[in-house]
Amino acid sequence: MSVEVRNITKKFGKFAALDDVSLKINSGELIALLGPSGSGKTTLLRIIAGLEFPDNAGAQVLFYGEDVTGAPAHKRRAGFAFQHYALFRHLDVFENIAFGLRVRPFLTRPRESEIRERVEKLLKLVQLESLAKRFPSQISGGQRQRVALARALAVEPRVLLLDEPFGALDAKVRKDLRQWLRQLHREIHVTTLFVTHDQEEALEVADRVAILRGGRIEQIGTPAEIYDHPATRFVHDFLGNVNSFAAPRTVGEQSVSSTAFVRPHDIRVVRELAGEATLKARVKRCNAVGPVANLELERLDTGEPFTVQLSKEQFRELRPQPGEEVFVELQNVKIFPDDYSI
Amino acid sequence: MKKFDVLPGFKLTLGCTLFYLGLIVLIPLAATFGKTASLSWEQFWHAVASPAALAAFRLSFGVSFFAALVNLVFGLLVAWVLVRYQFWGRRLMDALVDLPFALPTAVAGISLAAVYAQNGWVGRWFAPFGIKISYTSLGIFVALTFIGLPFVVRTVQPVLEEFDVEIEEAAATLGANRWKTFWRVILPMVMPALLTGFALAFARALGEYGSVVFISSNIPMKSQIVPLLIMNKLNQFDYAGATALAVVMLVISFLFLFAINYLQWRSSRHRAQP
Amino acid sequence: MQAPSTFHAPRHVRRCGPTTEPLFVRWLLIAAALVFLGLFLVVPLVAVFVGAFAKGAGHYFHTLSDPMTVSAIKLTLLTAAIVVPLNCVFGVVAAWAIAKFDFPFKNILTTLIDLPFSVSPVIAGLIYVLVFGAQGWFGPWLIAHNIRIIYAVPGIVLATLFVTFPFVARELIPLMQAQGRTEEEAARVLGASGWQTFWRVTLPNIKWGLLYGVILCNARAMGEFGAVSVVSGHIQGVTDTMPLHIEVLYQGYDSAGAFAVASLLAFLALVTIALKAWVEGKGAALHPPGEKIST
Repeated sequence: MSVEVRNITKKFGKFAALDDVSLKINSGELIALLGPSGSGKTTLLRIIAGLEFPDNAGAQVLFYGEDVTGAPAHKRRAGFAFQHYALFRHLDVFENIAFGLRVRPFLTRPRESEIRERVEKLLKLVQLESLAKRFPSQISGGQRQRVALARALAVEPRVLLLDEPFGALDAKVRKDLRQWLRQLHREIHVTTLFVTHDQEEALEVADRVAILRGGRIEQIGTPAEIYDHPATRFVHDFLGNVNSFAAPRTVGEQSVSSTAFVRPHDIRVVRELAGEATLKARVKRCNAVGPVANLELERLDTGEPFTVQLSKEQFRELRPQPGEEVFVELQNVKIFPDDYSI
Repeated sequence: MKKFDVLPGFKLTLGCTLFYLGLIVLIPLAATFGKTASLSWEQFWHAVASPAALAAFRLSFGVSFFAALVNLVFGLLVAWVLVRYQFWGRRLMDALVDLPFALPTAVAGISLAAVYAQNGWVGRWFAPFGIKISYTSLGIFVALTFIGLPFVVRTVQPVLEEFDVEIEEAAATLGANRWKTFWRVILPMVMPALLTGFALAFARALGEYGSVVFISSNIPMKSQIVPLLIMNKLNQFDYAGATALAVVMLVISFLFLFAINYLQWRSSRHRAQP
Repeated sequence: MQAPSTFHAPRHVRRCGPTTEPLFVRWLLIAAALVFLGLFLVVPLVAVFVGAFAKGAGHYFHTLSDPMTVSAIKLTLLTAAIVVPLNCVFGVVAAWAIAKFDFPFKNILTTLIDLPFSVSPVIAGLIYVLVFGAQGWFGPWLIAHNIRIIYAVPGIVLATLFVTFPFVARELIPLMQAQGRTEEEAARVLGASGWQTFWRVTLPNIKWGLLYGVILCNARAMGEFGAVSVVSGHIQGVTDTMPLHIEVLYQGYDSAGAFAVASLLAFLALVTIALKAWVEGKGAALHPPGEKIST
């Protein structure tokens, strides 16, 4: 059982926000849509919610087998949380959460006592019981987002859609809420799709991550999969820190210009020549503040700059000095041809 | 050490402002209260609570209230249509809303009186039903609606323009259809601006003279509004009576001014949030 | 705190979807709005011009060239020529004091400036009669010195000054408050004198708001009826302004004549509206949508 989109294309004027995108989200999964601005992730989310509609006739949005492609937003039961919360300023926290229940058509509307019970349960779930009577202007950003989530959950949505939910918050609050979201998901198991441009967030929180770029899905997999085995050059470059070196190759008769990618923590620094795969480099700068040490080096043969990440222990053992010449060993190198620009 | 401001001219400009304000506005207004103070209670009461005066107050307040009410409903409608929809002539309509601000009241007066007369362009549609507009309270109502028209529209327009689309989208995702979204979300949020516009239209209508004087039959006790009563007293050199009435109107105007400022303060408080 | 000004930035078009109404609802609402505006605005406006020519073009031009009409037009123009610049300067001065500096009771001052807006025009005229009339505070003194204010042109000017008092100020105050002091401070730090700062920095920034206020001030100055009616004495040829002359003609059963003079003022009103829309467009170009210009 799943939430599925098939062959979604959406254009804004000439700009193709989504180009034949298909995605299947398993029931209870938490999937992150990750990508740079303009990659189409928010558009996809909004199409699933019914806030936008795809251009092509063949596009489909399916909620557990039911075709909701043409259904208007207020009939889909998809919970949506906005980046800037979109709380109703004239209602207090309790009424904001109760809203979705109060606007139900007369026949399906729960009784007052049931509404009260459900809202109180949700307040407990998001740990905001004491704020029930406050207004949005009287609570902090992090609290507002939790209210927004509770409000979306009140209607028992079939899928939960979060649009950069922590984007407007400070770094520390963001980190705390990330953990909280993970915990919440473990408790309630709603199929969740969230959009972010913060890769740390995506890799930390999600069961699976879909990387979007230019309206297409570049890769989709678990965080470990896409980090360790990036399928394309873009994905490798986008996730985490990476060094890149020019690496011309010959394929048959032609020489294809390519780039080699190596992560800073996959490089060993030694003082003696070890094997075949070592290069000579000069240390330019050392930065040992914080949990890891970063070295800025320059290849002696090509002059290309690169960074190496060492643990504090390795750094203490090596004690590199600026200006020194050392040898580096590259591991886990991935080479991609240069057929697209980043 | 002498403190001085980076920008010059504070004392000069503030002084000029207070001087001009005092000269043109405050001193003459003070004269009204001063004159009233020289009246005995009986004189004051006689002028303000005479049957003619009471009838005038009832008429002024009553018709102004209904005119402002109509402007409340239709002003919201017009503002909504101008902000949310695209149609041929929208910009022209938007500009025309300002006509009551720009058109002299005397011009509006004679024109409305003619159009809504029994043989006028609009009045003739009502004549067969025995409904007379010009030269009745209904005519005063039309004039006061005209005069207050832009107030609600222009107060509500900016609020609607700035209205966060996401709030409406949120309501939709929570299951509310358009009507429910309007009734439970948009209307409450627009209410402070609506009330401000209503108060402005009401206050304006209370004091209106020019457009009413032509369309009303101006019969004492029947169709005489307070400003006209004041005018009559002046023409009869009953300065005491005129001033007494003026003071009552001024006090009411000032109360309105404070109410409007309060409403605007409340509505800007609501808006000062992400 | 100000009563809202009529200046507003242009709107954005809504995208189609969950936040728009079904088509028939939209057309219904548009139709209702058009009928309402048609009944109250369009029809009376058109009626002025049609009524003006009811007795033919000959009567129209005859009325306008009549010496009484001409003197009424002259008086109206004279009044506007005195009142508008005075209130314009005042508006700038007041806005400078209020917007660029901090002092206690600022809100009270702004409310006081708004006062004439909430006063009935008849009362506006009355208060000057109480001060300058024969039985007013200065009455005896004026009579002794043979100065006539009430029932003469000065009275008309004063009453018009009162009713148009706030127009420029309430356009400029929020505008200049939104613009703040930083540009002026920068100019001062660079060595500009007070005047230079004003001319070169402040004035260019407020020019559209200023023009806008002046346009409205002028429209009201030329069209004021109630206040002028009280102080003028209706002396034809001497103290009749255009609106008063309209009344004279109308009461004299020359409604075509009344509409003829009215048509001039109605034309002025249309020009005012057009200029207003034009200035609003310009002002919005300087202040992109999203930035509020007035309260």
